[in-house]
Amino acid sequence: MTHQRPADSRTVHVEGLARVEGEGSLLVEVRDGMVETVELEIFEPPRFFEAFLQGRRHTEPPDITARICGICPVAYQTSSCLAIEDACGVSVTDQITALRRLLYCGEWIQSHALHIHFLHAPDFFGCQDAVELAGLDLAAVQRGLEIKKVGNHLMEAVGGRAVHPVNVRVGGFYRAPSREELGALVEPLRRALDASLASAQWVAGFEFPEIEIEYQFVSLRHPDYYPIESGRIVSSGGLDVDAKGISDLVVEDHVARSNALHARLGGKDMYLTGPLSRYALNYGQLSPLARETAVAAGLGEVCNNPFKSITVRAVELVYACEEALRIIEAYEPPDPPAVAVPGRAGIGHGASEAPRGLLFHSYELDSDGLILSARIVPPTSQNLLCMEDDLRRVAQANLSMPDEELGWLCEQTVRNYDPCISCATHFLDVTVDRR
Amino acid sequence: MLVAGLGNEYRSDDGAGPAVAAYVSQRMSKVVSKVISEPLDLIGAWDDVDLAVIVDATRSGSQPGTVQIVDLGGAEDVGALGGPTSSHGMDLPRVLRLARAMGHPPRRVVVVGIEGENFVDGVGLSPAVELAVTEAGDLVLQVIDEANSCA
Repeated sequence: MTHQRPADSRTVHVEGLARVEGEGSLLVEVRDGMVETVELEIFEPPRFFEAFLQGRRHTEPPDITARICGICPVAYQTSSCLAIEDACGVSVTDQITALRRLLYCGEWIQSHALHIHFLHAPDFFGCQDAVELAGLDLAAVQRGLEIKKVGNHLMEAVGGRAVHPVNVRVGGFYRAPSREELGALVEPLRRALDASLASAQWVAGFEFPEIEIEYQFVSLRHPDYYPIESGRIVSSGGLDVDAKGISDLVVEDHVARSNALHARLGGKDMYLTGPLSRYALNYGQLSPLARETAVAAGLGEVCNNPFKSITVRAVELVYACEEALRIIEAYEPPDPPAVAVPGRAGIGHGASEAPRGLLFHSYELDSDGLILSARIVPPTSQNLLCMEDDLRRVAQANLSMPDEELGWLCEQTVRNYDPCISCATHFLDVTVDRR
Repeated sequence: MLVAGLGNEYRSDDGAGPAVAAYVSQRMSKVVSKVISEPLDLIGAWDDVDLAVIVDATRSGSQPGTVQIVDLGGAEDVGALGGPTSSHGMDLPRVLRLARAMGHPPRRVVVVGIEGENFVDGVGLSPAVELAVTEAGDLVLQVIDEANSCA
């Protein structure tokens, strides 16, 4: 909703940032024609979960943390498993890692298909939501839904459920799907791949606001693959550390106005996680088809326009479908489906790439395997400072816009991040105050 | 026929819908009873079904535990349902409209709501909501029985 005030004290007040996961608020203050303040107000459920996990058994985080978010439960499960296994000094087999990656592909397909077609694309058509978009381009919405359904089926086959998978455990899985079960997904995945290629072509034709931002990109990097479920953490500034390293480096400051912590590298530098970072730091690890798709969509090897994150997501969607097919083709059911992970005293760290960016967990266990402390740093919290900085730049460059239009552009700027607000915030109320 | 419990049991009273879905599932195994965290996942699950009963937590200002029922019939007008009340990615009214736009809406939609009290992160329903699960569940069973007897 938009309200207007007199010119000397103008306020754009958008009651709800639609199409983000949850609720929250944003204030933009303009003084004498300059954007003076940009503040995101955040409430952060992971902080509750960190306290909730204390005293729990070391086997429980995958099930408990998966409930932080209905959109990226596999990310929470994977990062928590990696951290607990690290604390207990256990490594899983290559087959288990491949199955984790396959499950994670399901989540990327689900999440990216949802965001591209239902949450983000409507912005580029001036539509309020996917319902309006369906009136303009029903085929695109149907295509998005079909792709998402394939992601759901993959999640069900490997994780036991499409939302909040129940088959994941510390050390692996409760049950490994058979080759036949996964083989049934090959044809749907091929169709999803074709549909994803069509969607990449579709989004490449959108009209994007012109803005280029020199981010400090941070993402996982894997020696063999585009990063999803594991890897070291690298940055465009030369960082190259393991999960413990990033946990040590990232300092989170509490800001009085917000329930969320603001993450900085080394306590000073803001940084970006998510598709733009993964893409820029791992372009060479994309499959040939994904790279061709990127080139055809007009992307270079690095993308600095946050509004084009929808295009990068479409490229990643192509990659995730292909990667799922590759894993299924080579699949050997892990036997046993999980390795034993006896609890012991220790500290462990784990990081993986949620669809919207880097997610890392740290746990300290006592000698009985009970959790003494937990730390969960979700991607949306890590991106908060970049979001505010983007908003400052976008608002400043577009102050001539009427309030309603500027409010819309601010919402779109936030949606570029596909913020998982149930992970990082309740997101509502965009206010632009001009004096 | 589909009974869908919308919500997240780790968001306190937002778990009311899943609790009612479990209640119905224990008493009427022939009915497809699902827990759905994200309303968009109703598309596909409810395509062209004769009856979809959606159970969700409400925040209408009523007394916590108040059970309400809205029969939307063919879901021609869902504007009165309002916007999202939790962290679901796409709210129920939009998903209903989307189902119609895509040409496969359920033939009849009944929404059963339980007024929640507490939606903070955490497990467990408020006492008033916990008590209302039986009432809401029995109401769902009654709706199904009546639909079956009319069929």
